[in-house]
Amino acid sequence: MTVEVKAELVGSVWKITAKPGDQVAEEDVLLILESMKMEIAVTAPRAGTVKEIRVKETDVVKEGQVLVVLE
Amino acid sequence: MGEDYGAGISDLKSRRAKNLAMGGEARIKKQHERGKLTVRERLDLLFDKDTFVELGLLAHQQPVRGGESDPDGTPADGVVTGHGLVEGRQVWVIAYDFTVMAGSMGAVGEQFKAARVRELALRYRKPIVWLLDSAGARIQEAAGSTFAGTGYLFADQVVMSGVIPQVAAMLGPCSAGTAYIPGLADFVPMVKGTSSMSLGGARLVKAATGEDVTDHDMGGSQVHCYESGVGDNEVSDDRECIEMVRRFLSYLPSSNTEAAPFVDTGDPPDRSVEGLDKIVPASPRTAYDVRRVIKAVFDQDTWFEIKPTWAKNIVIGLARAAGHAVGVVANQPMQKGGILDSDAADKAARFIRMCDAFNVPLVYLMDVPGFLVGSQVEKQGIIRHGAKMLYATAEATVPKITIIMRKAYGAGYYVMCGKGYEPDVLVAWPLAEISVMGPEGAVNIIFNKQIEASADPETARAQMIAAIREQINPYLAAGWAMIDDVIDPAETRRVIVRGIEQAGDKRIDRPWRKHGNIPV
Repeated sequence: MTVEVKAELVGSVWKITAKPGDQVAEEDVLLILESMKMEIAVTAPRAGTVKEIRVKETDVVKEGQVLVVLE
Repeated sequence: MGEDYGAGISDLKSRRAKNLAMGGEARIKKQHERGKLTVRERLDLLFDKDTFVELGLLAHQQPVRGGESDPDGTPADGVVTGHGLVEGRQVWVIAYDFTVMAGSMGAVGEQFKAARVRELALRYRKPIVWLLDSAGARIQEAAGSTFAGTGYLFADQVVMSGVIPQVAAMLGPCSAGTAYIPGLADFVPMVKGTSSMSLGGARLVKAATGEDVTDHDMGGSQVHCYESGVGDNEVSDDRECIEMVRRFLSYLPSSNTEAAPFVDTGDPPDRSVEGLDKIVPASPRTAYDVRRVIKAVFDQDTWFEIKPTWAKNIVIGLARAAGHAVGVVANQPMQKGGILDSDAADKAARFIRMCDAFNVPLVYLMDVPGFLVGSQVEKQGIIRHGAKMLYATAEATVPKITIIMRKAYGAGYYVMCGKGYEPDVLVAWPLAEISVMGPEGAVNIIFNKQIEASADPETARAQMIAAIREQINPYLAAGWAMIDDVIDPAETRRVIVRGIEQAGDKRIDRPWRKHGNIPV
């Protein structure tokens, strides 16, 4: 089963901390967005393996946009 | 019966016993199998021991418009009503009995029993609690144009609003006829799995629109406590739900004419709060969990968070400050950076108005980057929703204490009870940043031309940002006496407690009006 991790709000991708193939636990930080000058951590909603990272640093993302796919 | 008291009293006893037995053993067993308690078990949990006084025990269904009725099969007409004590204070109750005709609202139960409770609760100015576990209106009694004579229930709730606390505990289904009860209540806990609410139940939805959906999928706590915001707190079972109702009521007065009850918690008013500088990072970009601040500042074990799973970028709830009940409104940097959006403003506005209605002082813990901007939020009507929070904060006349912990930007500063909103105390921590917007944004607007004309635009930009950053520290505002003080974070609790006591006799008279026009 795959899980899509989406952006909660509009912002830019500040730092990507996970990479494809990583094993992550629930709540592990996958990447950090920047919005309104705040660092906003995007965490894994459940444990799994990072299958795909669909954004790169400095990308501007919209609310609801898929950032990471977990498996 | 007749002329013999002995026989008459024995008859009374058997009538009482029959109705106390609710819908009978088989239905009670089924109720338990669903993971639910019976209505009478719930009342035992709600009220202090042996304090429940029941009205209308001997009621039962009556024939409506010449239709059939089943007086023997409808003990109490499916709703148990009366009053009892919650921590020694009188509280009224309307508790639906799912073992009797699925707790449906019949003519007797609704038009006489529930109406009586609403009338008396309001007459005595005491809180009212609904224990909801009901299939909704009893269609066989309600269908037809005599529906024209119904609907008093919700109108009564509106009259009670802001006068007596109203709690709707969701312990089972609650659709159509009953769903606006929680919609109008001040507090709505929901039991996970067994409770649901929707304007139309699953069968009605199928008939009306063709949609195939279950009551649970449409209106369970996973919808209302996480997505819609209609439910307040998700709980795991009936027992936890009713315990939460008792706890909620403990912070509120019986009515708007009383002060919120004081409880001696033993936590010293002057206690220095160490470690806040570790919880709240100095870097304004870094997130943290503001609930750790709340738990450290207020009386031990008194924090009662409301709506913890919806619009999590703002935290609201009740607590005690040296025994005084307070309503806490705090930005939550851990969620969406603490940025305000439509749901957060909506959540805070309703809570602020509840506290103001019931004389509960407000404490604002501010660390807000501002309201979210952009095309998506404009489509959601963020101006309209944000205005609710502005309105609620400006309108509130209870004591208001504002602590600027870190960021105070733009309209976020206003809605979190900045200077213009009549705070009784307004202080900042030493690293606070107060400004209409962040230095980066301000420089882009103010110095755009100078930067473009500069030989080294990046350096020029950085210099201007640094220059503006110096202006946003709290000492400029303190120098103008626009804020009352700059405080050591460790003094936060003392400042809050003294502020509430300072404002104890607060009275603000507004110009006469029928009522304002809050942008709902």
